[in-house]
Amino acid sequence: MKNALSILAGLSLCVASNSAIAADDQTAAAASTVTKVCQNCHGPNGDSTSATFPRLNGQQADYIAAQLKNFRDHSRSDAHAMAYMWGMASQLSDATIDGLAKYLSSQKPTLAQSGGELAAEGRSIYLNGVAANNVPACGACHGPKGEGNSVIPRLAGQHASYLKSQLEAFRSLSRANDVMHANTKDMTDSEIEAVSSYLAND
Amino acid sequence: MFRAKTNDGAMLKFAAASAGLVLAILLPQQAKAVPSYARQTGLACEACHTVFPQLTPFGRVFKASGYTLSNTSKVQDVDSLKHYLMSLSDTPPVSVMAVASTSSMAKAADSQSSKTSTDFPQQFSVFYAGSISENVGAFAQVTYDDQSGTVGIDNTDIRFADVATLRGHTVIYGLSLNNNPTVQDLWNSTAAWGQPFLTSPVMAGPAASTRIEGAMAQQVAGLSGYAFLDQSIYAEAGVYRSALQGASVAQNGNLSNNVISGVAPYWRIAYEADWGQNSWELGASGLDAALQNPTTPALGAVNASLQAAPTDRFDDIGLDSQYQFITDDSQITVAGRAVREDQRLNASYPAGLAGRPSNFIDSENLVASYFWRRKIGASIGVFNVNGSSDAIYFGSQSGRPDSSWGNVEVDYLPWLNVKLGLQYTAYAKFNGATSNYNGAGRDASNNNLIFGYLWYAY
Repeated sequence: MKNALSILAGLSLCVASNSAIAADDQTAAAASTVTKVCQNCHGPNGDSTSATFPRLNGQQADYIAAQLKNFRDHSRSDAHAMAYMWGMASQLSDATIDGLAKYLSSQKPTLAQSGGELAAEGRSIYLNGVAANNVPACGACHGPKGEGNSVIPRLAGQHASYLKSQLEAFRSLSRANDVMHANTKDMTDSEIEAVSSYLAND
Repeated sequence: MFRAKTNDGAMLKFAAASAGLVLAILLPQQAKAVPSYARQTGLACEACHTVFPQLTPFGRVFKASGYTLSNTSKVQDVDSLKHYLMSLSDTPPVSVMAVASTSSMAKAADSQSSKTSTDFPQQFSVFYAGSISENVGAFAQVTYDDQSGTVGIDNTDIRFADVATLRGHTVIYGLSLNNNPTVQDLWNSTAAWGQPFLTSPVMAGPAASTRIEGAMAQQVAGLSGYAFLDQSIYAEAGVYRSALQGASVAQNGNLSNNVISGVAPYWRIAYEADWGQNSWELGASGLDAALQNPTTPALGAVNASLQAAPTDRFDDIGLDSQYQFITDDSQITVAGRAVREDQRLNASYPAGLAGRPSNFIDSENLVASYFWRRKIGASIGVFNVNGSSDAIYFGSQSGRPDSSWGNVEVDYLPWLNVKLGLQYTAYAKFNGATSNYNGAGRDASNNNLIFGYLWYAY
């Protein structure tokens, strides 16, 4: 009788969990890809230790998916995109991209570690912009805490040198993006340093 | 890069007798990075290399993962449970590499020798370098060497590797089947991939070197297991056996030299810390080889029966460290190692080929390199070998094996797979002395050498 009960309990557990299998499969496949491939550069669950590679943990899912598709169709062509991501994204299907984007976006983000004089200057630029240099307030789109929204990326907790290199790439148009080029074209090096310092962790 | 040879005793004795030199053919040699990995992964050279053949942190992971990362379309087959039976890239992982060079020594070895040598090609290699299946990949090189005029197996590393997650930690683990102790290593501070990456085929090399620093290259087969935890803690253990090229010891009964008795254990531990654009490694490694019918730095050779013959035992332990700073604009590498080799000469000493029952060799080097935008670079290195005093064993006038030298090199890479290099090597001490080291008036500085090369891979 005891055995029969435990079998019954086991069966009902199976039935209950069946509906979750499809979603679990996608998550498991994405987790496996992140572990075996992505994390070699982007770190465990996207929390990279090397500043060459951006942190992806807690990044906006829509942004990750859009960028992977841009790498795949070569519409994003800054130097590191070509060197690394054109190859890595070349064989990804839309379903895989969606799975990776969801998985990475659900990881706990790294927090910004802002402090010091440079970061204080950066905070002012981030929240208020620099009218004299046609720099709008970054936070207007990227969110008051740098958390991002949909295809607008999370910036908080990113590597400082990565943020800096991307702002420079937008400014020089080596990373083509009309909106970000307009926002950065008159930014000075020191303003880029400051705002990167404010948002960054390391 | 070149195959070291054990069976050319007569040729070596002639060279030594006439010049007091042991040619670079006995020096540690290196192999290279190859573009077929770039074709397989879709990644540019810079993903895996600061400047070839030095690896970045990602390059180390690619190697530890068995060279299997692939972003090409594939021909595949699966069984009914969807396990892969076959996964072949539609691009064959084949590369070629060539080096052409010209060298000039300060003073010719003797009146019969030229002080210059032009080598076209110095070497020409064909590689199978890429994945074989989902978890198996290879770096396998066949090289034509112009000095010997032969084609032969060069550095080879065939791997099985996989990744596991344990309690939130990632472990890359695998097996390496290779033919040169340290060729499977991930850092550029151990011998097989340490600087200088290319040397003149006519450069004079000190008579004495430790076994782990290239003396066994391409004459052994080794199998080792390894694990790389969180891209930080590395441990490896394995064994080597003799696998002499051009000789079958078991079948034809020919006496061969430096045959490993049983197996030679090899071990390696390392710790790597990566932060920002920095990567730092500290490690240790060792090899314990008992060799039957050993040869000596003085070019003596025991030629006894290989059945239960006494052995010379070489116990090597090395410490190594590497620091890298890598940005798009600057690539800095500093790497060094120190190796102690304890020698118990149970074969050479009773045969009268050593004056002491035991000797030792210490070997140290430190090399720093800087590259600007992976285009223009320079490196400087200092190297030192010293050891116990034994004139019979080491064959030097002073009795010591001591040599000290340095080199500087400037490089220009018009493209990432083409390197033009100019290297100058200067000796402060050679085979135990600064001047008249061979008793025939030759000074260490007579071996100073300038070496220019063109090196490309496709």
